[in-house]
Amino acid sequence: MQRTLAERGGFIVSTGFYLAVVAVVGSLWRAAADGKGGTIAGYGAASLFWYIAATEAATVSLNMRLIDDIGTDISGGAIASEMLRPVSLVAVRMASEFGRALPRLTTCTLAGAVMSWIIVGAPPGLVSAAMTVVALALAIGCNIAAQHAFAAIAFWIRDARSAWFLYQKLVFVLGGMLLPIEVLPGPLRLVARLLPFVSMAYIPGRFAAGHVEPLLLLQQVGWLVALLAIALRIFATGERRLQVVGG
Amino acid sequence: MRSLTATMRSAFAEAWSNRSGFWLQVSIMIVNDLVWVVFWVLFFREAGSVRGWDTQQVLMLQAILTTGGGIVLGFFNNARRLGQLAADGALDATLVLPVPTLPHLLVRRVETTNLGDLIFGVALFVIGCDPTWSRIAIYLAGSLISVITLTGFLVAIGSLSFFFGRNEAGELGFHAMVMFAMYPVDVFTGPGRAVLYSVIPAAFIASVPAKLAESFDLGMALGMIGAAVVFATVGYTMFTLGLRRYTSGSAWTRA
Repeated sequence: MQRTLAERGGFIVSTGFYLAVVAVVGSLWRAAADGKGGTIAGYGAASLFWYIAATEAATVSLNMRLIDDIGTDISGGAIASEMLRPVSLVAVRMASEFGRALPRLTTCTLAGAVMSWIIVGAPPGLVSAAMTVVALALAIGCNIAAQHAFAAIAFWIRDARSAWFLYQKLVFVLGGMLLPIEVLPGPLRLVARLLPFVSMAYIPGRFAAGHVEPLLLLQQVGWLVALLAIALRIFATGERRLQVVGG
Repeated sequence: MRSLTATMRSAFAEAWSNRSGFWLQVSIMIVNDLVWVVFWVLFFREAGSVRGWDTQQVLMLQAILTTGGGIVLGFFNNARRLGQLAADGALDATLVLPVPTLPHLLVRRVETTNLGDLIFGVALFVIGCDPTWSRIAIYLAGSLISVITLTGFLVAIGSLSFFFGRNEAGELGFHAMVMFAMYPVDVFTGPGRAVLYSVIPAAFIASVPAKLAESFDLGMALGMIGAAVVFATVGYTMFTLGLRRYTSGSAWTRA
């Protein structure tokens, strides 16, 4: 966390970039809703703006190249020195990433809330706004765990760049970052609901749009536990393989 | 001219040397672009049309953007890296050669990933943009104008590094340009829209040519050509002036 706060230049740039993205994508959805009589897929124009502010905060707060970076550390062997510590390698890395993301998440959430309030008015509901904060933290946790699980492919194929590209696009569409999953066609919507990516963007967005659905928080907690277990398991297997190779 | 052709050929041969990696990176970028098309199709399926833009028009925008962007970032990749190279003092290897510095730098490096954009752009136009003769002419002219404007803009903001010694403005300008060019310009209103027709000329990169393909307007076409001339001139001038302030960083082979 201290490392992120120390990098003030990058911190300010990423917040500015976040605000620009929210302004563009939020305006696009707002214009679409206005053109359709004020509502799209059950979301009003203002709700859609708040939705985008939350989904973008949940994703922009993280290092978006995390999978690629972890893959480089694995394939380049830099990870070997970290394996000497008497603690779980992946647990330390995930905790470190969570700490780095928190200041960015806090700033983006506050900046996004101020901008949304100015442009489209107050948040659709106070209870749902409070749940958005919890959902955002859980979304970051799910995303970090899933990215470590995906990046572990580098233990086997020495390159995680393709996994990074694929992952990013899954979050964009099936995770609901760019569009609420209610907009997806029926079968695709069902697939999206069954996958963990909705926990990383759609669920905080859904709360920010004013929907109070506590079961979604449970769904996030469930995915967080599952993704952490998967990441720990794959890394443990990968680390044994790296030792066999001689890293 | 012959030296530039030879430089470009060797840069391409370098990229082509790892063929499996080449096709993997191209494929990844094609999938990346395809996701954006899926997004727009889903968006307009729900929205119908937004401020005069529909699926057909946005597909044309995407085709021109990926074609023009693919050429600039694929074949003239140093246009994007120029600011960092100048800030690092890593232009020595180019400066000692008996060739024009800026053109040589621009063609010196091919980025395989972005060639996927170019392939995707052409394919999208052929498959999804109803290629009549007039639309083909506008697509080709629009892509050419897009290449000139984008290259001029990237060189101009990259050249700021000669004066300030840092490249943050270059990186920010690049990301802003790409992000704003991806969306129809009519989504923006007020001062923001004016910026996209002037300081960050994102409107001319894809939105304006896509609008011309729907209904041709001579004034708009001339404005687009004018923007390309202005940004090419500004880019070249800023690079030439900036080069006089260049300081070597003894990094010989990075250009």
